[in-house]
Amino acid sequence: MDELDLLKKDWKRNENSFNQVTDKEIYAMIHKKSSSIVKWILIISVLEAILWTVLGTLPVADDYLEKSHPEYALPFECFTYFNYAVILVFIYLFYRNYVRISTTASTRQLMDDIIRTRKTVNYYVWYNLAMIMLSFVFGLVLAFLTKPEIDQLRQKANEDGATLAVLIFLMILFVAIVGCLSWLFYRLVYGIFLRKLLSNYKELKKIDL
Amino acid sequence: MSDHLEQDFVKQLRENQNIIHKICRLYTSGEDAHKDLFQEITIQLWKAYPKFRGDAKFSTWAYRVALNTAITLYRKSTRSVATTEYDSSRHFIRQEDYNYEEEEQIKLMYQAVYQLNDIEKALVFMYLEDKDYAEISETLGISEVNARVKMNRIKTKLKKILNP
Repeated sequence: MDELDLLKKDWKRNENSFNQVTDKEIYAMIHKKSSSIVKWILIISVLEAILWTVLGTLPVADDYLEKSHPEYALPFECFTYFNYAVILVFIYLFYRNYVRISTTASTRQLMDDIIRTRKTVNYYVWYNLAMIMLSFVFGLVLAFLTKPEIDQLRQKANEDGATLAVLIFLMILFVAIVGCLSWLFYRLVYGIFLRKLLSNYKELKKIDL
Repeated sequence: MSDHLEQDFVKQLRENQNIIHKICRLYTSGEDAHKDLFQEITIQLWKAYPKFRGDAKFSTWAYRVALNTAITLYRKSTRSVATTEYDSSRHFIRQEDYNYEEEEQIKLMYQAVYQLNDIEKALVFMYLEDKDYAEISETLGISEVNARVKMNRIKTKLKKILNP
């Protein structure tokens, strides 16, 4: 193509036309902080992991359960240990993925690695969210079945199906709202940090189809 | 030890800085954006430098890190808007044999290239830098055949932009 070769000629001609940065400027630059998306992903991921770990391991029902219904305490404890194991596995996976990110890899590889790192955190967040909703539902059902304070409500629910249906509906509604909000939040975070990366990733994958 | 590393790096970067400038020219418009991307690339190069081994050329190594930074790590959008003006404030060296028609055409070419997406720009960049398809495919992580096909498509696309 003539035009592109013409451009090449001009490109080469102007190769040395840039204002040169000095050693001093380079020294200053390498001591400044990066604003790359990898750094932001690390910060967000660590914050998320802390937030969801704290929320996920809150000892909400422990004491109450132990006192009033010791028969439920053992599975609950097992669940807690299981949760700790999941956290450890997650930290290991995240660390492994994070150190794998290297700017010297090919562009495709680099994008793959960043997306994989991000996905690990997402899975962790979804896991915690699911667990929180599960324990919430579990707690509600348990309270409904055992707490003396709500005897009246229980009786009413037993007697007419409508009240029971309303209760179940409210539970589902709550779960749905929490789910929607989390989804929106992630769209936002993804939008800010990964929009460019994902569109370039798509572009790159299109070439290799 | 780390001082020594720093000195080496600064020297190598100063000598090879035009690589980064050229990428900034393609991916940004305006002096501030140019400087900002230049800085981020420098930081990424410095971060990766301890793993750089002397068996590869600094320039070859720097190409990859710099391109990856512009395309993948840099958060701000590097895609210039379609109306981006060819930046005449840059200090282009003009030859004696100034050819008005040719200059106009080059101007239009730059404008057309600015309308390409990040990946297409990367291919054009490596083409302008006389990189062969083996290196292009390795740098981007796509197959050599597909790199060739894509380059041809870009040429067609540029033609279309130039002659709508």
